[in-house]
Amino acid sequence: MKKSLLTACLVFFASAIALAQTRQLTGKVTGPDNQGVASTTVKVKGGNSATTTGSDGSFTLTVPAGNIILQFSSVGFSAKEVAVSASQSSVNVTLATQSSDLNEVVVTALGIKREKKMLTYASQQVSGDEIRRAASPNFMEAISGKAAGIDIRVSGSGAGGSTKAVLRGAKSLLGTSEALYVIDGIPMVNNKGGQPGSYGGTDGGDGLSALNPADIESVNVLRGANASILYGSQGANGVILITTKKGKSGKVSVDVNSSTVLEQVSNLPDFQFEYGTASGGDYSWSKTKGAYQKTYIDEFFQTGVNATNSVSVSGGSDKTTAYFSYSNSNAKGVLPTNTYNKNTITLNQSTKFFNDKVTLSSNVIFSAEKSFNRPGAGYYNNPLTGLYLFARERDFAAYKANYQVFNDVRNMNRMNWYSTEEKQNNPYWEINNNSKLATNSRVIANMKLSYDIAKDLKFEIRGNMDYNNVLYDNRYAAGGNSVSVSPNGSWSYTKYNDKSLYADGILTYNKNIGDFSLTGLAGASYQKNTFRDGMSVANGTTALQYPNFFSFSNMPYNIIFNQTLNRTLKQGAFANVQVGFKEMIFLDLSARNDWASTLALTGNQSYLYPAMGISAIISQMVNLPNAISFMKVRASRSETGNEVPYNVVNPWNSIGGAGGPTGIGGINRNTQVPFTNLKPEIIKGDEYGLEMKFFGGKLGLDATYYKDVSTNQFLTLSAPSGSGYSIYYVNAGKILNKGFEVTIDAEPLRTNNFRWKTAVNMSRNTNKIEELIASNPNYQVGGDDEGFASIIKAGGSFNDLYIFKFARNASDQIILSATGVPTKAATQVKVGNVNPDFLMGWNNTFTYYDWFLNVLVNGKFGGVAFSKTEAFLDSYGVSKRSADARNAGTIAINAIQGTTPVTSIDPVVYYSAIGDRNKIMEPYVFSRTNVRLGQLSLGYTLKFKKSNIGIKDAAFSLVGRNLFFFFKKAPFDPEQSMSTGNGMQSNDVFSLPATRSFGFNVKLSF
Amino acid sequence: MKQLFVALMMLIVFGSCTKDFESTNQNPNQISDLMLKQDFNLVGSPFSGMLYELHGNQGSQTQEDLCYDSWMGYMNTPTDFVGNVNNTTYYIRWNGYWGRQYNNVMSPSRQVIRLAQENNLPLFATWAKLIRILSMSRLTAIHGPIIYSNYGSTAATINYDKESDLYNTFFSQLDSIQTEFGANKTYAGFAKFDPTYKGSIPSWMKVVNSLRLRLAIRVSKISPALAKTQGEKALSDAAGLIESNADNFNISLLGNIMPVGMICYQWDDTRMGGPIESFMVGLKDERIGKYFAPVTDPKLYADHPAYPYKGIRNGAFNAAKADKVPYSKVSPDFNTVQTRRHFTASEVLFLKAEAGLRGWTGAGDPKTNYENGVRLSFADWGAGGADAYLLDKTSKPIDYVDPKDARNNFKTRSTITVAWNAADSKELMLEKILTQKYLAGFTNTLEAWVDFRRTGYPKIPTVAKNDSSPDWGIIPANEWIKRMPFIPGERTGNAAGVADAVSKMGTGAKDDIATRLWWDTGNPLNF
Repeated sequence: MKKSLLTACLVFFASAIALAQTRQLTGKVTGPDNQGVASTTVKVKGGNSATTTGSDGSFTLTVPAGNIILQFSSVGFSAKEVAVSASQSSVNVTLATQSSDLNEVVVTALGIKREKKMLTYASQQVSGDEIRRAASPNFMEAISGKAAGIDIRVSGSGAGGSTKAVLRGAKSLLGTSEALYVIDGIPMVNNKGGQPGSYGGTDGGDGLSALNPADIESVNVLRGANASILYGSQGANGVILITTKKGKSGKVSVDVNSSTVLEQVSNLPDFQFEYGTASGGDYSWSKTKGAYQKTYIDEFFQTGVNATNSVSVSGGSDKTTAYFSYSNSNAKGVLPTNTYNKNTITLNQSTKFFNDKVTLSSNVIFSAEKSFNRPGAGYYNNPLTGLYLFARERDFAAYKANYQVFNDVRNMNRMNWYSTEEKQNNPYWEINNNSKLATNSRVIANMKLSYDIAKDLKFEIRGNMDYNNVLYDNRYAAGGNSVSVSPNGSWSYTKYNDKSLYADGILTYNKNIGDFSLTGLAGASYQKNTFRDGMSVANGTTALQYPNFFSFSNMPYNIIFNQTLNRTLKQGAFANVQVGFKEMIFLDLSARNDWASTLALTGNQSYLYPAMGISAIISQMVNLPNAISFMKVRASRSETGNEVPYNVVNPWNSIGGAGGPTGIGGINRNTQVPFTNLKPEIIKGDEYGLEMKFFGGKLGLDATYYKDVSTNQFLTLSAPSGSGYSIYYVNAGKILNKGFEVTIDAEPLRTNNFRWKTAVNMSRNTNKIEELIASNPNYQVGGDDEGFASIIKAGGSFNDLYIFKFARNASDQIILSATGVPTKAATQVKVGNVNPDFLMGWNNTFTYYDWFLNVLVNGKFGGVAFSKTEAFLDSYGVSKRSADARNAGTIAINAIQGTTPVTSIDPVVYYSAIGDRNKIMEPYVFSRTNVRLGQLSLGYTLKFKKSNIGIKDAAFSLVGRNLFFFFKKAPFDPEQSMSTGNGMQSNDVFSLPATRSFGFNVKLSF
Repeated sequence: MKQLFVALMMLIVFGSCTKDFESTNQNPNQISDLMLKQDFNLVGSPFSGMLYELHGNQGSQTQEDLCYDSWMGYMNTPTDFVGNVNNTTYYIRWNGYWGRQYNNVMSPSRQVIRLAQENNLPLFATWAKLIRILSMSRLTAIHGPIIYSNYGSTAATINYDKESDLYNTFFSQLDSIQTEFGANKTYAGFAKFDPTYKGSIPSWMKVVNSLRLRLAIRVSKISPALAKTQGEKALSDAAGLIESNADNFNISLLGNIMPVGMICYQWDDTRMGGPIESFMVGLKDERIGKYFAPVTDPKLYADHPAYPYKGIRNGAFNAAKADKVPYSKVSPDFNTVQTRRHFTASEVLFLKAEAGLRGWTGAGDPKTNYENGVRLSFADWGAGGADAYLLDKTSKPIDYVDPKDARNNFKTRSTITVAWNAADSKELMLEKILTQKYLAGFTNTLEAWVDFRRTGYPKIPTVAKNDSSPDWGIIPANEWIKRMPFIPGERTGNAAGVADAVSKMGTGAKDDIATRLWWDTGNPLNF
């Protein structure tokens, strides 16, 4: 497979014929360190001839005869123009690096490169190299701490798991508040699979894992809603722009990347293994010590391995360039039987026609992912419940060896487990007999045609098709737990396609008139999404006809096969004008009109929203002290409309059930109030920024203050009982997010051979729900979920945590019942908010000759986290805490029984009254604050000056992630998320313990 | 060239206009009214679902199993839900039946009545109105005043019907329903949509009469004259009553498992009740094996070794779920049944027996009706030994022992036997009738809660653990729960309507669980 593709690719390159007609110019672009600068765009000023440099910085370009001016631009370096005389055949250029750069070029929305100083909004870039350095299977995890204002939560489900990236706080109550991902200017579909809840489930992954991190050139984070002018409502939550690598003209270069990362469980709860149950049963509350097995929990987990190998080939002529990559990932998780396999292929080419006036480029990404037994969370069908709660005096080794026993009555194997609890299974039965398969087969293919109509006028048209075939096939063997599995086994099968068609056309115009510069842009876009087009069926606890045969034909008659669909059609027209004056003031005005099918019949399907911004480069206007090399202030205001969900305006009826064996299913009539006055949600954002550089760029500051107001939130309400309807929808609510983001970067030390670069990213967001339903101040989104309530309510903030505390009297004494048991307060009270108050990332890179060392410290401050796991461990008497209390004989308590003060309580009485799933949860709310060594990598680059074997350089690095915490209060890693959905944030219900990983990375360039 | 691109742009912006939007936003996996007109499915197809929703599915755990199933001692949960402080111990955590009836019966039936008129199928409207009375007569037995005559109002405040008015409305609507059915006895239009009677109008007419008798008996103490008039009308109507098991009004489960089977076998969240154990074991009732499954551990039933069953007291102390999981489950038959009982011939016979005690014309001999009610129930459940049972003059309900937690033990308050004794007082006769009606009414437990509040029979124990509080109203130690509060959505969304409803419950009434319903007179004497 790998070999034949490589061959095909080489043939492809060979067929790219250069059409050299004029003179040939060669050259090399280097940085201040004399290293070649790859991917620099080299362009003839006023002409169409352009290329990009190879990995060593060299380029070959066909240029017109005569004197010309060459323009060089590269991400991370300052742009430069160089005059080339008619006689020159080679040119060498040195570019200044980014830190000392005042004219940084950044990628903006729609993939257009602009000078950063012109931007009227916040943007921050992370290079692909920095991402790869982390060697994380999830590239977004590698961004955490490296850009300000982004709160990234990674699912605890291991390789292929989903991510939640929120910029500037949650804005939408029922919709997602996650950033939009854009690849080379085209929005990427990022549908998330199902997420676990208290009762169980498994992370269904998301669309990001389809990407090959090796293909990423850079990632830009646009935190505000400004990009939504170009992408519509999808951009309202900010945008993460991914720029992929492209082919470079010149000779063929080959990169081979190989990384192997080992993963270990690092944060198991503290258990006890000395006390068993008093007389059988489930609760290890005996007060007599015994010599029991101690190591089975540690031994249950294995060392995970994640091996990724990739090869990329790029090259081309000055007319045609191409990039090809293939990568393969193979992972086994820390949970036995969990595996993940991914293959991706990327093909990218670009060709020029018609005197280089027309450029046709295309990019195709294929990815195939297969995940098996991805770890879940929650009570049901989770191996960790049985593993952790195991009654200590029993023989775990025997249950491990004989996780199933033959049952004469049924003539088949059944699970062997001592407990009949709904949440407990033999962990080895669970991992060996219950299988969870998830596969994705995805193609993202796009084509772009750009036409230089005239010197200043350019037209670009793009089309993209994103097609993903998704399968979830979960099988639970007969003879398992009767609460979650039918007597003949349970099967849940979901198969569907996600298809997204996107097209846009953009006309751009650039003109300099005297002191004024003008950039104008007008375009239109079309997007048709057909998601979840397929079916799902699950027999649940209704028995299959025959045991352990998972096939449609084996379904009982009364199971419904559901056909699923979610489709939207959106059209947009947009225009943007940027006027610059003397390179010191830039004014940006834009507007977009959307037409959304989800608002059909409402009269509101067409909606317009504007944005404007201004930036002023003070350092160009007035003379500042010498220490200040650059100073810019900016302000922008944007408004974004957001469409409502699919099929809520006027849905039809559904078939209610299969009907009895002799009858037909009835019809469930749609009983919602017809909602023909639906409006789009509106988010209004203001931001103000200051960018400064000191000492020639050795110190930089980028600060932003923002305020976003979301209104017209789409909400579902129960209709009044007597109204004749069951539910209705409203547009209501007002959510306020405000905060700041600060990035300080510096180069504190630099000698010829040693360099230390450091950057601190900080941000704070405060969220306030000013209003939900004005007429109903008690209205809330979210409710109690087994003792954990994450609630959105007027006057509070997004995801306030409510739990039951102890009942206390006025003097703060815990009220004991007549029998001496701690009592629970009557209602749940707010104990905090799960979102952090303050995010910080401190990234350091040290280079010494060819060595580099990267140290990333990540901190999140404030917020609360909740552990249902700990609550269960205590109530079952299996936590170390419970043994310590028994060893001490008593627990100190400030309580009162009747009128008698009580200062100590029996551990059994105490822990039986709290914890578990629905009791007093006060002791299980922890601070989310944590500071960790997020990433440590050490590398060496070996350069071959004259190589016989064709290797140009070889880079080796060692990497460690999440190695240890400098500070952590919660007994679990609150950043590793049980769910990446809205509801269960910062909650741990038997989710996979946190892991640390370390490995090595080798990169060879040919 | 330039014009071409401009034209292309125009095409993108305006060419693909928004005419596809409406169809794009429709879900083709939903079924439209236009499609349902074929084969005349439009009006009839919601009926099987509306009938099913009179009880409902999994939600009945919080609506039936943890409410009147438990309060009347038929079933109780081994699970310490919400720290063992919940509906079963008189602290209201769940109150969902109201929403089920309005969302799943009243709201679709409103559309059905409109569609029936539009499509000139008036008898479907008649049938829908009958289902509404079946639904709302259950709901009023739980809450008291309910929204009925003002249903569908667009006013900001929707007022509730006072109970006395409501019953008058029910009775007069039953009159017109019966008239319309009576004029169309051979109408076959319901056949496809009626899983119970396959569209037989005469069978539905028996339901109308039986329902009228049920409601008449309900109001017999508070409004004896109305009760007698309506009861005698039901007894004399030519269409007759449900008096044989073949006529039983059983509702199709539509392929779903019987809720009590699922709650018991799949979730381990319900077990036999302690009070019904006290009656059935004490009275040597052979139906016990049809209702419940025996336990395996002899230690659990050491108090009555001949009957290997053990239940859980109403409002029990539940320290740990595992303690009581081994207690008696319901019969495994409930995992496979296809229908559930909604109105049986035995209930009608017990209604007639009580009507006889009250001297209503046409009720017949109380003894005969009582004994036939017992026989019909035994036959319906497939149990033997009815004759011997009816002759038993000595066996009495026994005291209950909880082998895991003595706080749940209780002494039986009832000393009745099964055998009819003409020398008994009317009160004692009524206690026998209603005790047998209670035992026969297994899985249709709301009517038993009505009878108990109305008459004090059967003599079940109070809850072992009483968590009633000012939050939802205090139930004294020697008393039982009287009603369910109005739902939070109405308290906030229709506050003026709720305030009006509370005032309609009488002076001093509160929207709590201690306020008596209209027909619950509080008078311990029934004659």
